[in-house]
Amino acid sequence: MSDAQPEKSITDRVPRSVDELTSNLTLESVAVHAFLYGAAAVFLLPYLYMTTLSFQPRSTAIDGVPYWIPPEFTLEHYQFLFENSLIIDWTINTFIIAGGATVLILIADSMIAYSLSRLDWPGQGVILGIIVASFMVPYYLNIVPLFTIIADLGLVNSYWGVVLPAVASPLGVFLLYQFFKDIPDEYEEAARLDGFSNFQIYTRIILPLARPILTALALFMFVFNWNAFLWPLVVLQDNASFTLPIGLVSLLNAQIYRPGRTMAAALIASIPLLLVFLVLQRYLVRAVEMQGVTE
Amino acid sequence: MSIRDQLSGLTETEEGRRRQSIGALDRETIAGYVWALPYLAAFVVFLLWPLFKGLWMSAHDWNPLLPSESEWIGIQNYVELMSDPFFWNALWNTIYFVILTVPAMVVLSLALALGVNRNVKGKTALRTIYFSPYVLTIAVVAIVWLEFLSTDFGPINYYLDLLFGIRIEWLTSELFAMPSLAITTVWWLLGFNFIILLAARQNVPGRLYEAARLDGASSWRQFRDITLPQMRNALLFVVIIQFIYQFQVFGQPYVMTGGGPSESTRTIVYYLYQSAFNQQSYGYAAAIGYILFAILVGISLVNYYVIGGNNE
Repeated sequence: MSDAQPEKSITDRVPRSVDELTSNLTLESVAVHAFLYGAAAVFLLPYLYMTTLSFQPRSTAIDGVPYWIPPEFTLEHYQFLFENSLIIDWTINTFIIAGGATVLILIADSMIAYSLSRLDWPGQGVILGIIVASFMVPYYLNIVPLFTIIADLGLVNSYWGVVLPAVASPLGVFLLYQFFKDIPDEYEEAARLDGFSNFQIYTRIILPLARPILTALALFMFVFNWNAFLWPLVVLQDNASFTLPIGLVSLLNAQIYRPGRTMAAALIASIPLLLVFLVLQRYLVRAVEMQGVTE
Repeated sequence: MSIRDQLSGLTETEEGRRRQSIGALDRETIAGYVWALPYLAAFVVFLLWPLFKGLWMSAHDWNPLLPSESEWIGIQNYVELMSDPFFWNALWNTIYFVILTVPAMVVLSLALALGVNRNVKGKTALRTIYFSPYVLTIAVVAIVWLEFLSTDFGPINYYLDLLFGIRIEWLTSELFAMPSLAITTVWWLLGFNFIILLAARQNVPGRLYEAARLDGASSWRQFRDITLPQMRNALLFVVIIQFIYQFQVFGQPYVMTGGGPSESTRTIVYYLYQSAFNQQSYGYAAAIGYILFAILVGISLVNYYVIGGNNE
């Protein structure tokens, strides 16, 4: 993405005449930059406000003046959260749920994608069709019956109750199937002549070739499951079993209005993801772009 | 070796080969099922089964404690829904929310994508900034905007007061509550659309614009005759996915307004959630789920034909 096609950027950059050169550099260019950077500022202000509030004592947070730099600096909200709330438990829960779901999704999705794209068996077309059609099913249609099933299985309040339904998502199957079926047969034929088993072809040929798309899918699923809101809200009913998003909202029910404390919790809940995002952004961008291309 | 022997040898090996190939086929079929099994198990138990169970539940006065005692009532839940003012209120609220968010989000993300695609400074940083809220959970987004829009302490009202002497009840008045949720949502999800549209714009061949410029086409005509048609599929995808996604809005009203004031921000999924988990009306909630499903399929089809047919 960042390395845009040179052909285009060159033609876009070469002005046709002196007139166009000056107009491009002055009015239009200034307007475009103002628009883009103005929008960027609007996008950044909520982050700044959240951070500033989280480091302010309650007295300055509710004195009616919004500060963009804390007038008085304090760590009391963070200290309170770590000492008197379950935020550490919530963080651990969120890591286990998001991480566990991601690992299971990668294994299950890549296995069935291998089966659908590289193996030949009767009925696979029908099964692929059903999985693709299930994209049409809105997620929320299922929550009531799904909850009764989870309850019957005794999985309410458990990690599994959140993780297992996440594995049923068809998105990864479809993305991986698209990629796997385009891998040339020659690799596989050569491997079969060398006596490779399915498992060896899968682990030594398919998975290594698919590493970029697997990384993108993993990152997308980790973020998605870290952030999931409604389903964990339904399944996790005990304070200690909450994920960060659910625990965060439970903090709003406090008797006294303390915006600093909820902002500190919000920051703790976002920082791992924002860091992952900054480092691995291109994979996440790739995952989003792929969704745009496949539909 | 006689010819006969050779022939019989041949048939033997052919038979053997055939038997072997049947064996291989069987092995491949078995392997196919085995490799598909882990996902299919999750898919059947946690996606397909609930789909059918939901339909079954929606035809019952469902008893959550003793499901076997549930009474079969046919389409009674659906009939009741049609005359339920809370349901219609939630439906109109949802449609209002979709109207506030989807066009704004698509137009803004298209504008940002076309802007970033130009020869601007700091492309990468801009892209990161626009996309970043997308990785936040709705819980964080909602809590932050709750403070941002706070009537007494928030910065927006502070500056409005300073400049114009007014304070708006962003989240506590019927007039502004839903638009406030919409603003929050646009901030949160704009980046997703932006990324898809930017990729689509970068895939438009530059020579098309070159040719148009040689023909003396204005930038408006280039936009209308090249950019829009070339980006049609991506725009269609973004519109459909946002319609479907925004129709299922839940976290914003749940955290920021509790569906209020006077139920003016209670949406369909919120109503479904409350029917099931506050009032224990599981059968009724399952019926709401199916109506939602029908609406979303309808929206997808309409969008597909209206927007998709535009340029045929």
